[in-house]
Amino acid sequence: QDPTAAHYMFQDDPFLMPRNAANSRLFSLSKESGRNAAKYIIKQFPQYFDKTFAEPNIPCLMPETLVPQIEGVSEEALKERIHLRRVKDSVDLFDQLVQAGTPVSLETTNSLLDLLCFYGDGESTPETEEEEKEDLEESGVNASEQKAPKRQFQRGSQTSGSRWRENNNAERIFKIMPERNAHSYCTMIRGMVKHGASAKAYDMYIDLLNERHKADVHTFNALITAVPYLKERFIERWELAKVFLNHMAQQEVQPNLLTFNALLKTLRRCGGVGRSMSLLVIKEMEALDIEPSLATYDHLLFIFYRSVDLYPSGIISEVLDDVEKRSFTPQDPDDDVLSVMFVSFKILTRLLQCCDLKDIKLAYRLNKAMEKGDNWKFLDMDRLNAYWSKFFSLLCMMEQIDVVLKWYKEMSPSLFYPTPKNILDLLQALDAANHLEVIPSVWEDMKQLGFNRRQELLEEVLSLMSRDQHPDEIQLAFAKCAEDIKAVYEQTGREQVPLEWTGSALSNVALLFSRAGRTQDAWNMMERFQQINRIPTDQVMNEFLNCAKQTNCPDEAIKLVKLAASLGLPSSQRLKSRTEKEFELSEKQK
Amino acid sequence: MAAPAAARALRAVPRIRPLPVPDATRHLHTTPACLKTRAARVRVGKGDKPVSYEKAHAPHYIAHRKGWLSLHTGNLAGEAGAAERAVEDAFLRRFLYGTFPGALADEAVLKRRGNLLVICAVLARGLAPAKLYFLVGYAETLLAHFYKCPVRLELQTVPAKVVYKYL
Repeated sequence: QDPTAAHYMFQDDPFLMPRNAANSRLFSLSKESGRNAAKYIIKQFPQYFDKTFAEPNIPCLMPETLVPQIEGVSEEALKERIHLRRVKDSVDLFDQLVQAGTPVSLETTNSLLDLLCFYGDGESTPETEEEEKEDLEESGVNASEQKAPKRQFQRGSQTSGSRWRENNNAERIFKIMPERNAHSYCTMIRGMVKHGASAKAYDMYIDLLNERHKADVHTFNALITAVPYLKERFIERWELAKVFLNHMAQQEVQPNLLTFNALLKTLRRCGGVGRSMSLLVIKEMEALDIEPSLATYDHLLFIFYRSVDLYPSGIISEVLDDVEKRSFTPQDPDDDVLSVMFVSFKILTRLLQCCDLKDIKLAYRLNKAMEKGDNWKFLDMDRLNAYWSKFFSLLCMMEQIDVVLKWYKEMSPSLFYPTPKNILDLLQALDAANHLEVIPSVWEDMKQLGFNRRQELLEEVLSLMSRDQHPDEIQLAFAKCAEDIKAVYEQTGREQVPLEWTGSALSNVALLFSRAGRTQDAWNMMERFQQINRIPTDQVMNEFLNCAKQTNCPDEAIKLVKLAASLGLPSSQRLKSRTEKEFELSEKQK
Repeated sequence: MAAPAAARALRAVPRIRPLPVPDATRHLHTTPACLKTRAARVRVGKGDKPVSYEKAHAPHYIAHRKGWLSLHTGNLAGEAGAAERAVEDAFLRRFLYGTFPGALADEAVLKRRGNLLVICAVLARGLAPAKLYFLVGYAETLLAHFYKCPVRLELQTVPAKVVYKYL
């Protein structure tokens, strides 16, 4: 893999290559929006794109035919519109059919209910057809490609777009249905849970039981997912989940992987009860010979490592063992290698507080597991960046500096773009290993990444550079960095707010200039102290005098003494005497 | 006696029919004139016209100093489709000229490998990179759907148009 190239979706050109994470996201999104614009054109003018001259015909490059062919009020027309997912049209047609008195078969009504429950029956305000279609398509797209965001688990089913309104089309059609079978009830329950009406779903389930129908496994999964919204206390939630599971056993419905994942998801919100029960759930899964998927591991890790002060348990190693051994296929919408990795990394960083050296090996194992087999299908640009930045933080904390630097050179900018925190970690690692001469190159990288206006990074760099005395060529390089940083501070005339000099920054820059022997620049720095109402420290002034002595500029020394005197510093007397001693001054200067 | 002998001789020789003489009328030359000596050549002027390497060389330099702008197998012996490729090329060049307004620095090179169509274009850096990526995504998808083949756009950006000489 080429360590200097960006991701292959970007053009290989220095102007078009993204240099930091924000740019990479921007470029990939703009490319995607260009594609969407083209698809819009193709959808608007399908007549220009429908000639089939490719042999064999490539269906994915043809425009989609979304216009229903069958006209007129009939059941076939209704079936076609349902198939084409046109919600409003199918509802209208259904109403027409009912008013005309034509009986609509149970199957068709059920499929109409499926459609309505899946899409959540959009807006009631009369909007133009195109807008509605777009909205429906968006909500459809959202629903089918939904991956529950890992941090906001509260949002759960509310993220699927619209909420379930009172007396919307689905409920209306359900009520006027002459006969209903189990499928109708199940669809309604699933739709209600999906769009946030959990209480209604529970009532509907009671109705189902009263009618002595049997629910299917998907309905039970939906009900189990809805448990956290039905009850508040942890014990009650677990009890309700157990009730559903018992019903499942009574109705002889086999649980599947999604059942267990839903159960674990509910247990995530059950606190302490969740921890004890989740192991039992896993044992049950193994007894039933259902292989756990990545979502299972995600929920498990979340349950066990939620709060900081937990005892380190061996769960994470076992999870890792499993993850390494098997190759995963996406089976659950929550399946996400990266969220497992993420959670694992977060745990690893917390466990580092115990200074457990085995953990860095775990990190490497995780890395290997990610590159194996089909796991790349789970990867996604933003998450990748976050994953690699966590990995790099871990490396900086745990590994030797040359390993860190090797990884750094290989990984950025091709695999990930370092975040400001990563740069801070890197600087600290360099500090710990006493490798401070690499700092100028890190500064170059910082400029490229666009971090050169971040106050805390600038301060860190300056303080590290100016802490100790270094051999001469390094000092010169440092002084050049300091000059760059000075230019950053003084940049005016742009829309950005100009950075304010802080006392420490100013003194560090002055120090660096003095040590490199650049007297004039150092003097410029000294003059600024008054502008920001700060007083230079003694160390700075001593360094300045040393520099002046080296470069043999008694004028500068005198100017310094005058400055000190004007500021009323206690050390001005000492400075004066030192100047007199060390420099040969003419009478006038005295 | 000679006459019958001559007649017999004449009968033996096959009679050559005289060719029809064309009508001796004058026609008008109605096809357009092909100025072959002026094709694809930039005429020398005062010396202020910047000209790229591509434009500066006349077509007889193709395969000597120039390469081809469109590479496909339609012109090989036994291969069909040369005319279709030519029409496609014309359309693609106009499409690119319109999609990247003012940004094209030189003629685009079109390469066909099997089913894939690779468009190699040189652009100036007038537009922001995000806008260029938008146009790239748009062009790739639209052309792919239009020509029913995968289309890839490979760009190179230059700070300004590369001038070979001034004519």
